[in-house]
Amino acid sequence: MKPLDPRLLRHASAARVFLGLGALLGVAQTASIVAVAWFTTSAVVQVVDGRAAEGLATTLLGLGVSVAARSLAAWALEVTAARAAAQVKSQLRARVVAAVADRGRAWVDRHSSARVATLVGPGLDALDDYFARYLPQLVLTVLATPLIIAVMASRDWLSAVIVVLTLPLIPVFMVLIGWTTRAAQARQWERLTRLASSFADAVAGVSTLKAFGRERRQVERIGRLTDDLRVETVTVLRVSFLSGFVLELAASLSVALVAVSIGIRLVEGSMGLTAGLFVLLLTPEAYLPLRRVGENYHAAADGVAAAEEVFELLDDEHGVARAVSAGPPVGIERRSVGAPADALVVDRLTVDRGGAVRLPETSFVAETGRVTAVVGPSGAGKSTLLDAVLGLEPCEGRVVWRSSGRAPARSEISWSGQSPRLSSGTVAWNVALGEGGEPDAAAVVRALDLAGAAGLDPALVLGAGGEGLSGGQAQRVSVARALYRLDRVGSRLLLVDEPSSALDRITEARVVAGLRRIAATGVAVVVVTHRRAVSDAADLVVTIGGAS
Amino acid sequence: MTRSLLRTAQPGPRRAAPGIVAGSLSALSAVALLAASAYLITRAAEQPPILYLSLAVVGVRAFALTRAAFRYVERLASHDAAFRQLAVVRTELYRRLVRVAPAGLGRTDRGDLLARVVGDVDALQDLPLRVVQPLVVSGLTSVVAVVGVALVSPAAAAVLAGALVVALVVGCVAADRLARRNERTLVARRGALSTAVVDLVQNLDVLVAFEAVEAQLGRVATLDADLRRASSRRALTAGVVAAVLSALSGAAVLATVPVAAPAVASGDLSGPAFALVVLVPLAVFEVVGAVPTAVLAWRRVRASGERVDSAVPDEVPVGVVDDGAVGPVDVDAVAPGRVGADAHTAEVGPAPGGSTSPASSATARATPPPALRLRDVSATWPGAAGPALCGVDLDVAVGDRMVVEGPSGAGKTTLASVLARFVEHTGRYEVGGVDTATRPPAAVRATVGLIEQAPHLFDESLRQNLLFARDTATDDELLGVLDRVGLGRWAAERGGLDAPVGERGALVSGGQAQRISLARALLRGFPVLVLDEPTAGLDPETAGRLVRDVLTTARDDGATVVVISHVEVPADLVTRRVRVEAGRLREIEASSSVDSDGGPEPWVRG
Repeated sequence: MKPLDPRLLRHASAARVFLGLGALLGVAQTASIVAVAWFTTSAVVQVVDGRAAEGLATTLLGLGVSVAARSLAAWALEVTAARAAAQVKSQLRARVVAAVADRGRAWVDRHSSARVATLVGPGLDALDDYFARYLPQLVLTVLATPLIIAVMASRDWLSAVIVVLTLPLIPVFMVLIGWTTRAAQARQWERLTRLASSFADAVAGVSTLKAFGRERRQVERIGRLTDDLRVETVTVLRVSFLSGFVLELAASLSVALVAVSIGIRLVEGSMGLTAGLFVLLLTPEAYLPLRRVGENYHAAADGVAAAEEVFELLDDEHGVARAVSAGPPVGIERRSVGAPADALVVDRLTVDRGGAVRLPETSFVAETGRVTAVVGPSGAGKSTLLDAVLGLEPCEGRVVWRSSGRAPARSEISWSGQSPRLSSGTVAWNVALGEGGEPDAAAVVRALDLAGAAGLDPALVLGAGGEGLSGGQAQRVSVARALYRLDRVGSRLLLVDEPSSALDRITEARVVAGLRRIAATGVAVVVVTHRRAVSDAADLVVTIGGAS
Repeated sequence: MTRSLLRTAQPGPRRAAPGIVAGSLSALSAVALLAASAYLITRAAEQPPILYLSLAVVGVRAFALTRAAFRYVERLASHDAAFRQLAVVRTELYRRLVRVAPAGLGRTDRGDLLARVVGDVDALQDLPLRVVQPLVVSGLTSVVAVVGVALVSPAAAAVLAGALVVALVVGCVAADRLARRNERTLVARRGALSTAVVDLVQNLDVLVAFEAVEAQLGRVATLDADLRRASSRRALTAGVVAAVLSALSGAAVLATVPVAAPAVASGDLSGPAFALVVLVPLAVFEVVGAVPTAVLAWRRVRASGERVDSAVPDEVPVGVVDDGAVGPVDVDAVAPGRVGADAHTAEVGPAPGGSTSPASSATARATPPPALRLRDVSATWPGAAGPALCGVDLDVAVGDRMVVEGPSGAGKTTLASVLARFVEHTGRYEVGGVDTATRPPAAVRATVGLIEQAPHLFDESLRQNLLFARDTATDDELLGVLDRVGLGRWAAERGGLDAPVGERGALVSGGQAQRISLARALLRGFPVLVLDEPTAGLDPETAGRLVRDVLTTARDDGATVVVISHVEVPADLVTRRVRVEAGRLREIEASSSVDSDGGPEPWVRG
């Protein structure tokens, strides 16, 4: 892990601001630490030398002020770090979100939509620790440690030399141990992961185990597996904890070294008590930032990993298929019943993704006023066909209106896809997606009714991904969403994917009747279906892949 | 009496002792290192013969070593103890799970719930490691340090004790308060933002097609700004506790000087001893600095414990069949696999064992008591307002192939759960003429096999996933059963029985997962098999094929099956159809059964 990724500074200006402010506060904190050590030493020496009467009060006042200053500086540094974390997360999030919108679905799919969503949400929170606990200490290591060593050197160069010589041992040993640990962990990693996940697996499968009468054997097995996990983990920890050991040992042995060397020189009379005590108090402070960096290394590594993942996402523009542009906004002539008949011409359309044919060459003409059914076996490319017409999927061939010869604009298409893909919010809000402003309540009810979801409460609030509805209900809301748009925007093309797969026959018949009524208003309806009841009701049946 | 799982998370004193002792010794070594160094230097300044200093010199070096060494031992010992305890906690959780699963786990999102439970249970390790250990070590170190200082100067000890008490109170109370405020203000905002991002990323297609991307970006930006503002405000409290502790440590030094100085002037306290009592607070406070972190860890651990307790209750909720109540009957314990199943079916079920198609035996057909008989059976899910199934009468004869249909939420899954003795019922439910109330639930399940809506595939090879149904089966038998469920070619393409199925069956499709679990059930040879919506989540075509294959296999075997599904099924494959609506069951005559192109439709022809 790089201690500080330059890309962080490039992508998030808040990180740059933090480094500047942090450096100032770090210097202030160091100065107050030196002052605390100085006034503590003075107070002790004054009392020990029997000079308590002269100015002890002044010394204690100085001590009080410097203690307060030290706390204040430490607090300010933490506050700055926490604010920086919030701002940096916000900036990185904004960049990823913009990239998602800009680069489109294929790009998101390549990076797994779940991963992108987690990364932008909870994933980036790992940066909190990076900023709160790691970066300030890194700043202090760079600033405070040299300053303190310089102050020590001004009083006693020998102690400063001891510190300068031992300090580099810490990172050297940490790196060495890090390497060995990695090797040990890599060896046991697979086994550890398996042991760790086997409990989750047994828990997830508990009712299956019960159905097969295998559950009681698991109780004992879990105890055994967890104990195996313990043995393996402790073996790894034995090595992992060595780095902490070295860190502590180097720091405390150096203090001992400094203390003994000062003691001997004091006995010889070559050094004064003030200088000796002052240097002794400063010695641990010289090691402290580096120790903290080591302690927080793992917490920080998570944050850095999250940030790096973000940078990789942002830097990956390779093969970004720009979502087909929506084209210039067309003046929408509001569709009216009896509009001149037109047709959507699909001409030798093929979709080929990474060498795999997703849609074999397909041609048909979907007339306005008619229902066109698209049938074919699973995986033949029926849904891909709709995606291609929508411009969501890069394709070869032509999709144009017969009258104008141009591709249908976004606003001319209403669509309900294979999976419902609902959002958090009310049912009404979902149905009126893209409209902006308050949904038209009457139109929402009408659309739900047409889609076979008359009983659904438009005010029902859904969770992320439409959580709260059954699969069948969600499908119907998705259809209602397309119908609402058709009604409000005046699209001339309605694309629906399996509108009735989760419906009983009576409701299905109502939905099909609805589709026919919509077609009659001058809309070209294209419906993908497996159901005979639907294809039988269509004016044209297009078969994709395989024999019909 | 409900017992929190959290109580099992703390190792007993004997097991926790090594870690705590080592930790305290390490912390005390740190204090002693500073004390000895301060003493050494101040004493040396008095320029005594160097021999007088040798003890202090040895002490300084020794404490430097023991501090690091004991710290290493502490970390190893405490982790070892925590892991040993984890085995206890997990076993206890699993005991609970076995008693209440699946009906006692709530009705929705069980998979999610269990995933969270696993995370929460593992988080309970933090109780010994990050809560008890640092608190006990801080406490012990503080007490020993105060006593040690008191031996030198009681006045200084009083100051130190006072400062430590204030520090502990501030550390505990303030850290707790701040964390609570933090949770209140930030958690909801974080959740809202995360949801908006999920909506954007996962529904991108829809947003593009509905020209709603800009609006969603705006939504995300607003929520993000909101969170950022709240976080920045909250940032002011970050580090307050640490700053206060650091100030208190300085204050202790500051107060000790005037308090102990008169004793130096009067000669009661030597110079070196004075330096020692003044500086010791610095080291003690460094140890006490772990208290606020421990308090925060306690909040997290407690929340995890509460979540586990509410998700997987210690007591079996009303309405759930208690597997523990009838005594430790383990089907496996009686005899593993096939033989075990047979042993029970001989007593309970009407079907003889011996072949993988038990119901095909002629003797079973000759004496046909209904395989299952339900009389006035009602069932209510735990916590539900009303019954999900009421007054159901049903006879399933040996060799019946029954389809149960009905709208979602009508009680179909409840029926399956009653048949498998997961949900408790009122009324009478007999298997092979024996009242199930008098039998251990596990024995009933040996006769009535259930394939759940989302059967679990274990993250193992295909072979292991089949063998767990019958561990004596040979590879040939396994391949044979895969062939029967239509997976023979697929398995061969995947590399045979060693093919992995992935975590939660991630490497197989939904239809294949259902087929694998069907194979598992066939291998086990349940006399009666209940399939709860095997087609949920499958596309219509796959669903139709799956149900047809299930029924064809059953017909060829003469097996007794109950399939819950809304898929259209050819009439010749089923012997019975029933419909569940609003918790009530009615028979549908065979003649009205439909296949795909039947029934008048009110078409509106354009």
